[in-house]
Amino acid sequence: MNNSRFARTAGWLAVPCLVAAGLLAWYVTREPASPFENHHIAVADIDPALVARGEYVARLSDCVACHSVPGGAPFAGGLEMATPLGAIHATNITPDTETGIGHYSLADFDRAVRHGVAPDSRRLYPAMPYPSYAKLSDDDVRALYAFFMKGVAPVKQANIQSEIPWPLNLRWPIALWSGVFVEAEPYVARPSQDEMWNRGAYLVQGAGHCGSCHTPRGLAFNEKALDESGAPFLAGALLDGWYAPSLRDDHNTGLGRWSETEIVQFLKTGRNRHAVVYGSMTEAFNNSTQFMTDDDLTAIAHYLKSLPGDPQRDGASWQYQKVSAAERLDTPGAHTYVTRCASCHGLDGKGQPEWMPPLAGATSALAKESASAINITLNGSQRIVAAGVPDAYRMPAFREQLSDQHIAEVLTFMRSAWGNQGSAVDAQAVGKLREHTDPASSSPTILHMR
Amino acid sequence: MELRINQKTYQVDADADTPLLWVIRDDLGMTGTKYGCGLAQCGACSVLVDGNVVRSCVTPVAGVVGREVTTIEAIEADEVGKRVVSTWVDLQVAQCGYCQSGQVMAATALLKQNPKPSDAQIEAAMVNLCRCGTYNAIHAAMHELADKGDA
Repeated sequence: MNNSRFARTAGWLAVPCLVAAGLLAWYVTREPASPFENHHIAVADIDPALVARGEYVARLSDCVACHSVPGGAPFAGGLEMATPLGAIHATNITPDTETGIGHYSLADFDRAVRHGVAPDSRRLYPAMPYPSYAKLSDDDVRALYAFFMKGVAPVKQANIQSEIPWPLNLRWPIALWSGVFVEAEPYVARPSQDEMWNRGAYLVQGAGHCGSCHTPRGLAFNEKALDESGAPFLAGALLDGWYAPSLRDDHNTGLGRWSETEIVQFLKTGRNRHAVVYGSMTEAFNNSTQFMTDDDLTAIAHYLKSLPGDPQRDGASWQYQKVSAAERLDTPGAHTYVTRCASCHGLDGKGQPEWMPPLAGATSALAKESASAINITLNGSQRIVAAGVPDAYRMPAFREQLSDQHIAEVLTFMRSAWGNQGSAVDAQAVGKLREHTDPASSSPTILHMR
Repeated sequence: MELRINQKTYQVDADADTPLLWVIRDDLGMTGTKYGCGLAQCGACSVLVDGNVVRSCVTPVAGVVGREVTTIEAIEADEVGKRVVSTWVDLQVAQCGYCQSGQVMAATALLKQNPKPSDAQIEAAMVNLCRCGTYNAIHAAMHELADKGDA
């Protein structure tokens, strides 16, 4: 009697469980809808003008930065991205039919780019910024497809398997992650805003995927906001050993002191009187922003300047205080500053704009997070190539020259001089980043998400 | 652009971001200023701009337009520079000599601003690298110059 009641109850429970499991299985393996479902495009028929337009969309989206390795064929993949679970590798997106995406239909391509779903229903890791690319318009996706099918040379290069062990390498839970965190709709223009603002918003939120680095992430590694309706959107974030500064109208750590013209100049030439491109932004500049049209850069600047700052997060407004590092030799770190830094950045901290950036009022000297200041001191800056010409001046690496203690002291000095109000830097933090960014290290634990 | 170097005016055709060192050596043929590291770390390329020592390998030439540049070629035209060079000779400071034009520029800049520098001030200012290790000789020369600082 008891047994049969138990069996009956279990039976009743099993039904909803099975239904739920069935629904789950359906959800995590389903193919998202694509407006291109029944479009068949023959590669031979693709209009060269559409290919050219797609090449520009690829520049806007900076596909090449991740889907290539230095010295390798463009878009052939292979870049290692270290995650705490194990390394993953960017894939071959050349139109090779065996190892690349040559067999993708336009709808397959659309699902991968805007929904993060490969043709076998396998979910892509969100290292691929599809939460941003979801905003791309149908026209831009079509153009992008045309470029990858006809404008890119096919390269036979097999993809490298991820090193994440079972069961962590199961992809289906990513579908649930996407369901919660991705708004899978193309950008919709705000009627209350003008055309330029809307173009800027489209570029920043979509192809530009600025938020991938500049928006802080939540516990599930999700961007806390995907557009201007959320206050954390582009509010600055720590990622990949760098602090990507706020792109909002914050006086200290954002673009508060930058004019729209200066933002355009920065994205087009890599430098302005406030700052010079460095860290992860170097790749974004070298491969992407400098190729954008003046109109698009102006739209981006216009949109970014519309994002209000937050004085509470940003702190008291920085004001320049005149002092020469040479007069403060008693302060720890000042001597190192005078001998190692002042030739370029000046005893007065004002640099030699726009060639050598000022440290007085620099984001890296005002932000709570000291990662960028430590990282660039340890590892120097990457080569900036503007309009085909490499930069004349570059930050040297001090990894081999200065101890953790010396770097901590000189950065603490730099972050407290000339009105700067960044917190002190301790030697442990330097040691940690030294190890994590060591090219010879066997266990990099920083997620490269660019 | 127009540059003032060693009390002379030169017309130079160079990009704004060209390092001053290249203009001095390659365009104007004054090779007393040396190229060392190209990263402002060694000091071999030191010159004076308005009396302050700067590392010309990291000084965009556009930044010195309208200012007075002094190189090793003219350092003896300066009273302090002349004393520095003569002390350098007296004490036979140089070995291979490659870094010495930069050392002399750094010493001159310090003594012009501060005729009697303390040990700490000398240590802070004389930071150019020397592969031969003439640091002791430089130290001795600086002390002699500082001791006679009021003269």
